[in-house]
Amino acid sequence: MSDKALHIVDLAKRYPTGVEALRGVSIDIEPGEFYGLLGPNGAGKSTLIHCSTGLAQPTGGSIEVFGHDAIHDYTAARQAVGLAPQEINLDHFLTAEETLDFHGGYFGMPKRARRERTEELLETFSLTAKAGDRTRTLSGGMKRRLVLARALMHRPRLLILDEPTAGVDIELRLELWHYVQKINQEGTTILLTTHYLEEAEQLCSRIAFIADGQIAAEGSSDDLAARFGVANLEDAYLALVGRNELSRSRVEGIEEIAL
Amino acid sequence: MSAAQIRFATLWRREVSRFMKIKKQTLGGPLLETFLYITVFGAALGSRIKELHGIKYILFVIPGLIMMSWATNAFTNNSSSILQQKFQGAIHDQLSSPASPLELLLAFSLGGFVRGGMVAVITCAVAFVLVDLPVDNILVLIPALFLVGFFFSQLGVLIGVRAEQFDDVAFAQTFILQPLIFLGGVFYSASLLPQPFQTLTHFNPIYYMISLVRYGFVGYTEISIPIALLALTAATAALFAFNLRLFTQGYKLRA
Repeated sequence: MSDKALHIVDLAKRYPTGVEALRGVSIDIEPGEFYGLLGPNGAGKSTLIHCSTGLAQPTGGSIEVFGHDAIHDYTAARQAVGLAPQEINLDHFLTAEETLDFHGGYFGMPKRARRERTEELLETFSLTAKAGDRTRTLSGGMKRRLVLARALMHRPRLLILDEPTAGVDIELRLELWHYVQKINQEGTTILLTTHYLEEAEQLCSRIAFIADGQIAAEGSSDDLAARFGVANLEDAYLALVGRNELSRSRVEGIEEIAL
Repeated sequence: MSAAQIRFATLWRREVSRFMKIKKQTLGGPLLETFLYITVFGAALGSRIKELHGIKYILFVIPGLIMMSWATNAFTNNSSSILQQKFQGAIHDQLSSPASPLELLLAFSLGGFVRGGMVAVITCAVAFVLVDLPVDNILVLIPALFLVGFFFSQLGVLIGVRAEQFDDVAFAQTFILQPLIFLGGVFYSASLLPQPFQTLTHFNPIYYMISLVRYGFVGYTEISIPIALLALTAATAALFAFNLRLFTQGYKLRA
């Protein structure tokens, strides 16, 4: 039994179509860590998250969440995980309040605890005035906040954020950053996937690059830059995907000509 | 309540709250449809036919209509609910929870079971008052209605899980379920049909379900009640076991 928040060994996922989304991925995330997972679209980030939360079934390897086997001892493992998925997947039949209340119920929270936690989260995410509104009537930013509130409803020890700030405005992005930093400091372990490199640099103590279903590199932002022999995380990422020509140092030169 | 009980109660409550929020469509519509059938076949046609096998025609028809309303509502509710949640991705909230495949299957099943049961109970109550519907054998009637409701709840779950578009659900309902129900003897006695239709009716499983419910209400039957009850129990158990296997495997639910 592992003492890690997330302990993944040699994880493989092959879809019935034959696509190999994950090819022997191994990562360890320490309790209380803020861990980033970066990679191009289709690299396997969401598949890894889905395997860790029971939404996809691995074809090989093992996953443990705080020492609980996520495949065979899934009740305890899933109880410890909160997922804010990439796609907004709110139930259109429910109000904002019901969305949180039902989620709490799915995780076995008693009624009073659900009511108190729902009020707290609606307040935290500035959704109190919209508590009784059906989710389909909420704005995009409100939906995004509600998805995050829902993931936090059962007080997970491991919070998985799959591109949480995709398509949100600057104020909301900064609000979300502040909030997740706060709960991380309070002890919640966080796994973040993002396409915004400054987000990963700002928030994550350790970052893994995933490409073609495999972990290509792992370390701090500076470690990764050093590994690829470049100046910063963005250039390291461009080196990973083989697009060094897009490095800002080169593009800045082109801008001068264009202007 | 234990965490597991809270979990199951919430999963089930979600299914009931879905149809209660749109009750004009999910309860009002089916009730109106059933009463229109009773009016047309009972009052209008009944005044010509009078009796079938010594039973007033309207009393002969109503048991089949009650069975039909429970069956179709259980089926429609569960298939639509699961497919809608799959489309929205909202089902991931339940699937990533600690709920077991058995808890998920039962909760999804019982939503439609309750909806169909509500429509059937209201229809029964009105029929008791208006046409003095008898209950001849309650020991057959109650298990028969519960088994029919649960069987079609399971069928709805199966179609909802398998379906990839709303057309798939509509196809199953319009081209398979409705013809089998209508040709199963809701509005007539199979013994009055000419050959080969009389024999063909005996290959329709819904004929036996209608016969069981009709026997429970009015005491008339053309089949062996113990064998039909046993077969229905076996078919329901087999369908439930099959669905549980699909849920355990995550078939079309988990990637």
